[in-house]
Amino acid sequence: MSDDTTYEPTEHTLHPLKKIEIIVRGEKEEFVRELLDDSGVSGYTIHRDLAGRGEHGFHEGRLLFNDRAGLVMFFAVAEEEVIQGIVDGLTPLFEKSSGVMFVSDTQVVRLDKFLGEEDEAGETA
Amino acid sequence: MPIKRSVLRARIENAGEVIGSLWPLRTFNAANPLAGFEDQPFDQAVDRARKLFGGRPYPRPATFRQAWENGEINPALLTRRLEAHGITDPPAALLGRMAADDPPGDTSPADEPLDRLMTKWLAAFLDQGQADWPMPNREEGFYAAWRSVAPYDHDGPPVDSPSDLPPTLLDAFENVLTAYPEGQWESIFVQHLAALPGWVGFIKWRAQQDDHPWQAAYPISLADYLAVRLTLAKRMDRAIAPDDAEELPANGTTRPRLPALWLRAWEESYRRRLLDDLSAAADASGADEDDERPAAQMVFCIDVRSEVLRRHLEATGPYQTFGYAGFFGVPMQHERYDGVRVKSCPPIVNPRHRIAERPAPDRETQAATYDGWRRWGEAGRSLVKTLKHNVAAAFGFVEGSGGVFGAALAARTLLPSALFRATDVADARVPGPDHFCAPTVDRVPEADAEGPLPVGLSPEAKVTYAEAAFRLMGWTDTFAPVVVFTGHGCQTPNNPYKASLDCGACAGNPGGPNARVLAAICNDPDVREALRERGIDIPDDTTFVAGQHNTTTDEVTLFVDPDEVEGASDTIRRLQADLETAQAETAAERVEHFRADRPDAPVDEVQRRAADWAETRPEWGLAGNAAFIVAPRRLTRDLNLNGRCFLHAYDWRTDADGTALENIMTGPMVVGEWINTQYYFSTVDNAAYGSGSKVTQNVEGKVGVVQGNGGDLMSGLPLQSLRTDDVHVQHRPLRLLTLIQAPMGRVDAILERQNTLAQLLDNEWMALAVMDPEQDNTILRYRPGGEWTPDAAESAAPASAAG
Repeated sequence: MSDDTTYEPTEHTLHPLKKIEIIVRGEKEEFVRELLDDSGVSGYTIHRDLAGRGEHGFHEGRLLFNDRAGLVMFFAVAEEEVIQGIVDGLTPLFEKSSGVMFVSDTQVVRLDKFLGEEDEAGETA
Repeated sequence: MPIKRSVLRARIENAGEVIGSLWPLRTFNAANPLAGFEDQPFDQAVDRARKLFGGRPYPRPATFRQAWENGEINPALLTRRLEAHGITDPPAALLGRMAADDPPGDTSPADEPLDRLMTKWLAAFLDQGQADWPMPNREEGFYAAWRSVAPYDHDGPPVDSPSDLPPTLLDAFENVLTAYPEGQWESIFVQHLAALPGWVGFIKWRAQQDDHPWQAAYPISLADYLAVRLTLAKRMDRAIAPDDAEELPANGTTRPRLPALWLRAWEESYRRRLLDDLSAAADASGADEDDERPAAQMVFCIDVRSEVLRRHLEATGPYQTFGYAGFFGVPMQHERYDGVRVKSCPPIVNPRHRIAERPAPDRETQAATYDGWRRWGEAGRSLVKTLKHNVAAAFGFVEGSGGVFGAALAARTLLPSALFRATDVADARVPGPDHFCAPTVDRVPEADAEGPLPVGLSPEAKVTYAEAAFRLMGWTDTFAPVVVFTGHGCQTPNNPYKASLDCGACAGNPGGPNARVLAAICNDPDVREALRERGIDIPDDTTFVAGQHNTTTDEVTLFVDPDEVEGASDTIRRLQADLETAQAETAAERVEHFRADRPDAPVDEVQRRAADWAETRPEWGLAGNAAFIVAPRRLTRDLNLNGRCFLHAYDWRTDADGTALENIMTGPMVVGEWINTQYYFSTVDNAAYGSGSKVTQNVEGKVGVVQGNGGDLMSGLPLQSLRTDDVHVQHRPLRLLTLIQAPMGRVDAILERQNTLAQLLDNEWMALAVMDPEQDNTILRYRPGGEWTPDAAESAAPASAAG
């Protein structure tokens, strides 16, 4: 508590951004990770071994001896344009593989944490 | 309109589903080559795959004839099935008709110039250290590397300079795809990926490896492959899109085909016999509980080869045996004493720990002796390699050293049995790492930085793996004074397919290291204390020992010096003697399936096979596999299952909520299906799905084999692993039947939760039956769609017969 940093006056302004949540089977984790790495998001969170009920019945979380059948959830926050790029990459995937995504409005305080580097995408594949 | 990279990536991912991953040779993993089709009914899938890969969907007529003449197909069953489809001709006439309708031999690959160019560059790019003169610029990725050398390739379409070619991957796709709507891309990609399923399968595998050194240094992806191929196709004026784009994949036929009916009759004949035997055994063993403490208990891999040895070992004395996945539930990467790291857990499990072999504290002198000899050996080998590969030295070297090499060659060829014994003697004189190393079972945090995985196991992880083992096997009481975890591995020189004979649950490696880890865990007093709190009470006088079953010779090595085990020395010595007896009996049973040189001396025969570098059939591996039994050993103990069944120990009474069973069904059972389908497809079309004759195979780039001097990588098992000759099969290509002894409701609830399992069954990639102990051990069969019917009702319900 006793620290001598001088505090700048802080404005807790909320900045609007988009949030995407993606749930896929473990075997598609690699694909989604590469898509996100490449999309310009500044970071993302992964939850593994999810449980829940969906179109294909109840899905139990932890399987000891099968890492491909488990469910994995990603979430990431970024500007709308970046999120749209991720949606574009997932829409065709879900024609073949099971999975869901949700996009919603969200707000953050520290905007700089969620802006990726200048988008270099499109230069190389 | 510019192409969106993310969309392109997804379309490639989807198209890539039709190609099964292909593991490199050293870690050959049996997998379903049609894994990408498992969301379709079997008959439809094999039909689509035939259009795509040219592979035969069902066994050859000659294979059915062999089964028919051997009495493996029940005539009444076959006739009923045929009649249900309005076919009344006698079976012999039908065999003749099938043979007449059948194209001779397996699929032969088309010689397409585009394929030839692609395989040339793929082989150059994907070389993993075999070539003395590697392809340049590989670090830039396959497309960029190819682009930089394409102008020098006079076999290909003329290119004046790299700048004639699209500068980036994305440009390459744009250059070709803008003429086609996005809806057509996948069928274009599928066609070009399916043209070379071997190389593409390998790229698919390699691109998914996080820490593959060659992939990190020289990256390649399916996108690279497609960019090069489509660019070439356009310049060579080859078809970009398939002719029947909208038809691909085409609809399967609904007309029942003769081979499909015969296959089902053959499967049903085997299954019916097995289930009848199991029913009879269940009646006989009803109240027969062995409460007496056995002298020793041995846990073997579920592998079908274990069954033969277990049966013969049990006959020698008061022993109990169990079946468990041969990686012993430890998801680890194994670092050998020489520093090489290999994955040592099933293909569907990611390793979570690195376990390294380090000299045990009291064995440092032995380690030093071994190191000394090893350095000499390495220096010698490296000198020989340099001399052989150096243009100037090669000729003189051959002349000077020919005599020595000639003698070694003669010994290997003429005296393989003597060589087997000589190797044994050398091993005894300079004991290898097995004798002086111990695995780093405890955490070694300071070594973590050397790789991506933590070294050793936390106390919690140890308890988890020990508990999982006993819970899955339903083994919570009666522990013998000696309990052995027995991994397995094969012994075969000069065999690129060695990994296919090692443990499938250890990613094509021997299972001994995993056995050592679990044995060490179970000897840990803290682990025992924690297990006791969880209701698994292991007596203080129980010692856990690790061992390895050599599946080629059926010798079992125990990694222990009997003198060093207090209180159990005599038991271990007696067990070793009984294991030798069991080896002799097992070898005698197995040599009947070989054209043996010495049928009168079975152990000599199998040892000769283990040492003979010209032996193309060192052992039969998992050939014959046809069923997977999840039940206590007492159900199968009195049966001869002929080495055709995977056996997983399970006790329905100790698993009320089905957790153990769910893990068995999603883990080992799925791996069993992978192995079984690999054997099926490699047998029914060895050219399309297997790897052809060993005699004409060549190893390419240290990653795979090709036939002759080039072409696509061959993907499955070699001919000699499956067939006794051109006409007769050793492996009976039947789909796997799983039998679980458990209440039907419990199994059904698991299928409800695990959609991918239900899909395998509904689409008939495998079959399932339960023996319900709550219904007087009645056998119920799962029917595609989810209905359960009593076993006997099968004949009245031929609707599930053919697609």
